[in-house]
Amino acid sequence: MRKLRKMLIFPAVLMLIAVGCTSEEGDGGDGGDGAANQEENTGTVNVLNAMEPEEADAVQALWEETYPDLDYTVDFEASADFEEQAQIRAAGGTLDVILLPQVGTIAGNYVPNGAVSLEDLGIDIDALNAQMSESFVAVGEVDGQHYGIPSNINLKSMVWYPKDDFDAAGYTVPTTFDELNDLAVQIEGDQGVPAWCVGFESGGATGWPATDWMEDIMLRTAGPDVYDQWVKHEIPFNDPAVANAATIFGDVMFKQGNVLGGADQTPAIAFGDAPTPMFDDPPGCWLHRQASFINAFFPEGTEAGVDYDWFPFPPIDQEGILYGGEMAVTFRNAPEVVDFLNKFISDDFQCAMGGETASSRISPSAGVGPDCYVNSILADSSAILTEATQAGTGRFDASDLMPAAVGSGSFWTGMVTYMQNGPDSLTGVLDDIEASWPTE
Amino acid sequence: MREPVTGDEVALEPPSPGGNAVLFLLRLLSALLIPVVGFTVMWAAFDFLRDENANRILIVVIAIVVGVGGVLFLYWAMNRAVDALPARFREGVRPYVFVGPALVILGVFLVYPVISTILTAFKDAQGENFVGLDNFRFVFTDPNMLTAIRNTFGWIILVTIFAVGIGLAFATLADRLHRGEAFAKSMIFLPLAISFAGASITWQLIYSFRPEGFGTNIGLLNGIMIGLGQNPVAWLGLEPWNNLLLMVIMVWMQTGFAMVVLSAAIKAIPDEIIEAARIDGASEMQVFRKVIVPSILPTIAVVTTYMVINAMKVFDIVFVQPANAEANGTVVIAERMIRWFFLNGNDGRGAAIAIILFVAVIPVMIWNVRRFREQEEER
Repeated sequence: MRKLRKMLIFPAVLMLIAVGCTSEEGDGGDGGDGAANQEENTGTVNVLNAMEPEEADAVQALWEETYPDLDYTVDFEASADFEEQAQIRAAGGTLDVILLPQVGTIAGNYVPNGAVSLEDLGIDIDALNAQMSESFVAVGEVDGQHYGIPSNINLKSMVWYPKDDFDAAGYTVPTTFDELNDLAVQIEGDQGVPAWCVGFESGGATGWPATDWMEDIMLRTAGPDVYDQWVKHEIPFNDPAVANAATIFGDVMFKQGNVLGGADQTPAIAFGDAPTPMFDDPPGCWLHRQASFINAFFPEGTEAGVDYDWFPFPPIDQEGILYGGEMAVTFRNAPEVVDFLNKFISDDFQCAMGGETASSRISPSAGVGPDCYVNSILADSSAILTEATQAGTGRFDASDLMPAAVGSGSFWTGMVTYMQNGPDSLTGVLDDIEASWPTE
Repeated sequence: MREPVTGDEVALEPPSPGGNAVLFLLRLLSALLIPVVGFTVMWAAFDFLRDENANRILIVVIAIVVGVGGVLFLYWAMNRAVDALPARFREGVRPYVFVGPALVILGVFLVYPVISTILTAFKDAQGENFVGLDNFRFVFTDPNMLTAIRNTFGWIILVTIFAVGIGLAFATLADRLHRGEAFAKSMIFLPLAISFAGASITWQLIYSFRPEGFGTNIGLLNGIMIGLGQNPVAWLGLEPWNNLLLMVIMVWMQTGFAMVVLSAAIKAIPDEIIEAARIDGASEMQVFRKVIVPSILPTIAVVTTYMVINAMKVFDIVFVQPANAEANGTVVIAERMIRWFFLNGNDGRGAAIAIILFVAVIPVMIWNVRRFREQEEER
């Protein structure tokens, strides 16, 4: 018996290896060669996305309710490990449409793996620019072709505050950067605590919340055009415009008693824990800058509009709004897929999604007004985003668009070093980030 | 297989010079061709099984049955084929038929990746065009890479010394326990069962830091600091000590392994030798240094090699720390490799870093092989 078992082990191992091989081979097949000619209607459209399951269910139900009589079915497939799944299935050529939050990876990961351009799909780019704003649509542009349709947008330039205490103390929402700084000084004087709560720790991604700060300030000091040049590396990372933004950022962070725990501690404070002192009684801090998702990290039982509220990060030298978002990227050029895209991004359907309480999606479309949203935070965000994108002052999160070695590498690291080592380290930090920019 | 099954006299005769060449050819053919044919046959079977719409579990079951059975059949068939050969070639060819598949697998999964990695190391970020030595220039000039090389050396030296040293001490002392030896050893061995990533997270209970105002500190070290009336410290941002703190995690995990292996070696030392040393008036320290350690030296060498290679490969402990490894100066070579290859999408640099690791292992392996040979000679 033992002999037989021994005899079986080697073939079994061989077998496992071989099975591993073939499945890899299966995944790595020629990823649907982006044919310009349309394929047959297969009757189903798979939409792989990174939504929370409840949100995806709500969107699915809404879709079926809105379009009951189509000659194809749509499956909104929410995946917890979306990033990995999308890449594997793109390489395997088994994707229809993905709703991609990591829009910066379109060129590197998806165009070489069979993403179909909007031009090939026959989607009108000019109309899309008008509907979704040119700056957002341009995010999905690779070598003159467009590969992404903006499908979701979220506001990054938000400053959160403890509304009940804030009102009781008689403070007013600042409308300029100077007023914001004055407010911080006033809070420190009145309350005896630092005004700002800041935390940049995020495991292996530690430092990213600091890049959002930098981008917010960069956009409002250098302006959208220089911001675009910065993203595309048409100006160096150690350009005076960038140094200026970083200095202003440093002025807030390094000012004695302005940040809870001090700037050098911020890289050790988890970004999700950072706002919690705001809900102490009395508050341990009064201001927290973070994107729209952060209220999910607020203590249980706190209520928007009562315990906390937010105002947009105020203009500095000029107006500007920072946003992040998601794009629909298509891999199969078939009539039902195009029909799905047109229906999905239509103002009617996008507006209807705002009526779902389980949805936290904001439409990038200018035609979807604040009235569409049942959630007041989404409605207010939507109004600000639409105004900014239509005025051309809205810009996409820079670090998400820069090459990974910078945008999710040296930029994060540089900001952490800057916080830890203080204002004098700035020149070295910016030089290091500039040196890390990949040469083509 | 020492005795020819057939009892044929011819097989035992030295082959004629002409037969040598034929024999060599047959050996080569059987070693390479038959497995290739086998793989081709199985490949066709897999292709058939790759139907996307079939039941997955059914596929797995069929794959294992067909695969395992198929491989068994292949060996059996090849064995029969060898039997059909002229008697004088038979036993010369047979071993190669059985070794052949292993050689092919070794080639596909070891030799080919090594060659491919070496080639990639001279190519650009996309792995397309050759860029000469650029990637290696990066490896030896980038400040983070230099820190990583320095740190990895630190890991290799300190983790090895402490894990083996403490393991040896425990093994020696535990050997003298009258009671509870098994329990004491189990407690020390236990951390080895945890994954590196898991251990690294677990140690957050010790290193965790929250500045004042952000709630209670849950980290043990900061609990002690506050108890002593000091301010909490961000331990993982404390250069260069944070490196040592991370090494402690690996020592904690690996000491148990060193202890168990060394303990087994100590127990294998004949009591007579130790008794004799004691009767001759040796102190316990002398017994340890002059009798125990020399007796288990080969085992110490094996454990040390294991520790060195493990420390060289360290990745998870650093990677899952809630801190920026670059800014905190805790980067290590393997972590750089993952970052450049997968996260920054630069195949060339990732491969170049992999080669540094690969080359660094070579001296350890040479030392090991040499020591092994010496040992064999002694026997």
